[in-house]
Amino acid sequence: MTFLAPHPSTVALLLADARLPGGGHAHSASLEPALRGGMPPADVPAWMVGRATTVSLVEAGTAVVAARLLADAGPWAPEDRDAPPAGGPDGGVDLGADLGADPGVDAVVRAWAARTPSPALRDASRLLGRGYLRVARTLWPRSAAVRVLVRHDAASRRPAGLTTGTTSGTTTGTTTGTGTLPRAVVLGAICAAAGMPPADVVRLTVYDDAQTAASALLKLEPLDPLAPARWVLDACAAAEEHVLRVAACATPEDIPSSGAPLTEGWAEAHALTTQRLFRA
Amino acid sequence: MPETTPAPVLDGTRPTRALRLGVAGPVGVGKSSLIATVCRALADELRIGVITNDIYTDEDARFLRSAGVLDPERIRAVETGACPHTAIRDDVTANLLAAEDLERDFAPLDLVVIESGGDNLTATFSPALVDAQIFVLDVAGGGDVARKGGPGIGRADLLVVNKTDLAPYVGVDVDRMVADASAAREGRAVVALSRTDEASVAALRAWLLGVLERFRGGVHVAQDPGPMAPHFHADEEGGGVLHSHAEGDADHGHTHTHDDAHEHAHEHTPAH
Ligand SMILES: Nc1nc2c(ncn2[C@@H]2O[C@H](COP(=O)(O)OP(=O)(O)OP(=O)(O)O)[C@@H](O)[C@H]2O)c(=O)[nH]1
Ligand SMILES: [Mg+2]
Repeated sequence: MTFLAPHPSTVALLLADARLPGGGHAHSASLEPALRGGMPPADVPAWMVGRATTVSLVEAGTAVVAARLLADAGPWAPEDRDAPPAGGPDGGVDLGADLGADPGVDAVVRAWAARTPSPALRDASRLLGRGYLRVARTLWPRSAAVRVLVRHDAASRRPAGLTTGTTSGTTTGTTTGTGTLPRAVVLGAICAAAGMPPADVVRLTVYDDAQTAASALLKLEPLDPLAPARWVLDACAAAEEHVLRVAACATPEDIPSSGAPLTEGWAEAHALTTQRLFRA
Repeated sequence: MPETTPAPVLDGTRPTRALRLGVAGPVGVGKSSLIATVCRALADELRIGVITNDIYTDEDARFLRSAGVLDPERIRAVETGACPHTAIRDDVTANLLAAEDLERDFAPLDLVVIESGGDNLTATFSPALVDAQIFVLDVAGGGDVARKGGPGIGRADLLVVNKTDLAPYVGVDVDRMVADASAAREGRAVVALSRTDEASVAALRAWLLGVLERFRGGVHVAQDPGPMAPHFHADEEGGGVLHSHAEGDADHGHTHTHDDAHEHAHEHTPAH
């Protein structure tokens, strides 16, 4: 049976849809930490514009650079009748070859981490990355881009010093990489698999962040559910002037480094609280 | 039809991971207490981990840690974004990742128990998350609840009628409630439990060890109680049979196939 590929725009719709089970529903895009940290609810619309033009662009740039890198991973793996099912622990990817952590991916992760100073936000993003990788390896099991990340992820889980495929039995110090992949990098792989244009990757990232906050807001503050939908559109509109610049990012150095220190502080405090609705 | 997910098996026979057991039921029926009871009864023979799905995260995990029945490190809380129902059914990602982490950090575990956030009668676990599930009611909720039915009451692997010691104070006839529940469940397992009644705790323990044994033997198949009502199958004569997808008793897993000799139209009666 041959499968027709969906249009990249359709994939963008799927990824932006909160009904996709990737673990996102337990996250508030930093909104709960902000409100608990004392930000007045009336500031939410401005805060959303702030995110769309700062931290969302870091995520978007990371996804764009990862997508460019992974688009070079090669064509789709050939249809393999004997491939194990995609839902298995390693997504049907052959881990026998000791390809392990990918240095290019590591460089992107390091650039992202340097621009995401809050450990709590990095942790939350890595948790989302794991959920996204489940989505990616289940829906795009034969994409070369996704396979690179599945191998990379497996290498990061291998106990330090242990490598597959060594003949001597001694540890060779093969890198276990930069650890669990953040969401933006996994998003890049999916976008590479889907052939999504970079500008759409940016818009998708900005939209998803804004919509995540908007939907969390309804659980945190009493208001007309249509009000935050307006703010999502406003935030996305504010990011529009940055879209082409971020879409042009080609190397890890190109990723924007616009931060939001107050958000980072709130995120750290939130990680220590015991009464949370949302992870971050 | 409800999905069934076999436990992952190595060499075609044996599961490679811990049994995942869900505990669901309305708020306050004693889910956390039941888990504490299970830990107390089995901590010597099983390596156990617990995941809680509180609405305001930490409460259940703290209760269980303070019960002192398990190494506090083995009890983890996940956030549900104010949607405990979603976290055990529509998007089980956070719980799956937490289960993976627990099993990796304390390998090998025999049992991972997942407590759902107290929800309503329709909340049940997806078989993508758990291998078996207990639905808990308590006598204080009233003797009628078992008759009201719902996927958890009707088709969870085990129904627990909890806090039987309170029955005299709330005017509930426990035997009657259990009989109603058994009828609603077409004979699937029911345990009338009180943490102060040794015999009832032993019954719970025996049920759990039985499930674990079948799971390890590779013969347990996760059943989905389903979010929906039993299906209605019209037959050629224009009559029909009400049909639940987990018929049989709860004592052994089985796969269900639609290979009946006659063709049947598949009408889904509206849920509820
Ligand atoms: N009398 C009696 N009380 C019980 C029993 N089991 C639990 N309780 C009490 O019931 C109350 C609720 O118990 P929990 O275990 O917290 O119930 P839960 O279902 O986990 O509650 P949520 O997580 O909030 O939905 C507590 O006060 C318990 O002490 C029992 O067997 N008998
Ligand atoms: Mg509880």
